[in-house]
Amino acid sequence: MVKICRSDDIPEGSLKKFTVGRTDIAVGRRNNTLFACSNWCPHKGASMHKGYYKDNNIVCYMHNYEFDVCTGRLTNMKSWKKSKTWVEQDPAWRASGDLVMYDVLDDGSWIHVLVPSSEGQG
Amino acid sequence: MSTNYKDKIGELVGVEVIEKNGIDVEKLRQLLLAGVGAEFTTYYYYTILRMHCTGQDGEGLKEIVEDARIEDRNHFEAMVPRLYEIGGALPRDIRKFADIAGCPDAYLPDNWEDVEEILKVLLEAERCAIRSWGEVCDYTQNKDHRTYAIAQAIMQEEIEHEAWFVELLTKRPSGHFRRSFVGQSPHTKGQGGLIHL
Repeated sequence: MVKICRSDDIPEGSLKKFTVGRTDIAVGRRNNTLFACSNWCPHKGASMHKGYYKDNNIVCYMHNYEFDVCTGRLTNMKSWKKSKTWVEQDPAWRASGDLVMYDVLDDGSWIHVLVPSSEGQG
Repeated sequence: MSTNYKDKIGELVGVEVIEKNGIDVEKLRQLLLAGVGAEFTTYYYYTILRMHCTGQDGEGLKEIVEDARIEDRNHFEAMVPRLYEIGGALPRDIRKFADIAGCPDAYLPDNWEDVEEILKVLLEAERCAIRSWGEVCDYTQNKDHRTYAIAQAIMQEEIEHEAWFVELLTKRPSGHFRRSFVGQSPHTKGQGGLIHL
């Protein structure tokens, strides 16, 4: 695991970006759950650390897709229909995988993240 | 990407230097593909939207939509050569290109007779484009000077486009005046891909 920051650098409700090798990761704490995930939104590649929280989800700022902070699972695929006269997007464009999650550990002083070597090598 | 050239001339220094600066070139290729895909589809859909800017309200909007439409095409032209420089390529099938575009299709709304509804679609498209190129700018700043220069020029025009449509929707005071000619692209025209400007 790689030490990335002090424990108090990630207070409740925060969401920050770190880089391990060439891999950008987002680390946050929501509802007392510490999590680390890829900073790459699986929908269109936006930076997840620019997102915000809603319930137990991290919301991508680009298209407002929501992912569970515990599992990374896509929980809400926002509709493009802003009103009833707007046309919905094609399913192929809307499709998205789940958010890639990383093992993370808070030892009380420091936060450590495990990024697979194939991703984290610089 | 063909790798035959490597036997003749070795690695591309233009790629090597950005990798040494920390750029994940494959990630950058995907970001650029999403960006140019959004520009190309937007150009297409703006053509339809512009055709529907009619009547006393719509005619006044038509030329502004045309400026944005052609400048979005220019953005595609400006960035695609950079995509190929770093070993990327456009998909062989245009359907896939549309599917990987970074922004939604700017579909004509069902109630297009209400020009304000067309303006809302235009505004959303520009806002997504700003976010999309913002990602490229953030990723390349101080690491890939060439991509950054093109992306930030594009982003300046996208921000102007957003302002145009906000002003049309809200009547807020505006510094906007007409371009010198359609597709002028005052910020992007210095980029190498725009040989027609």
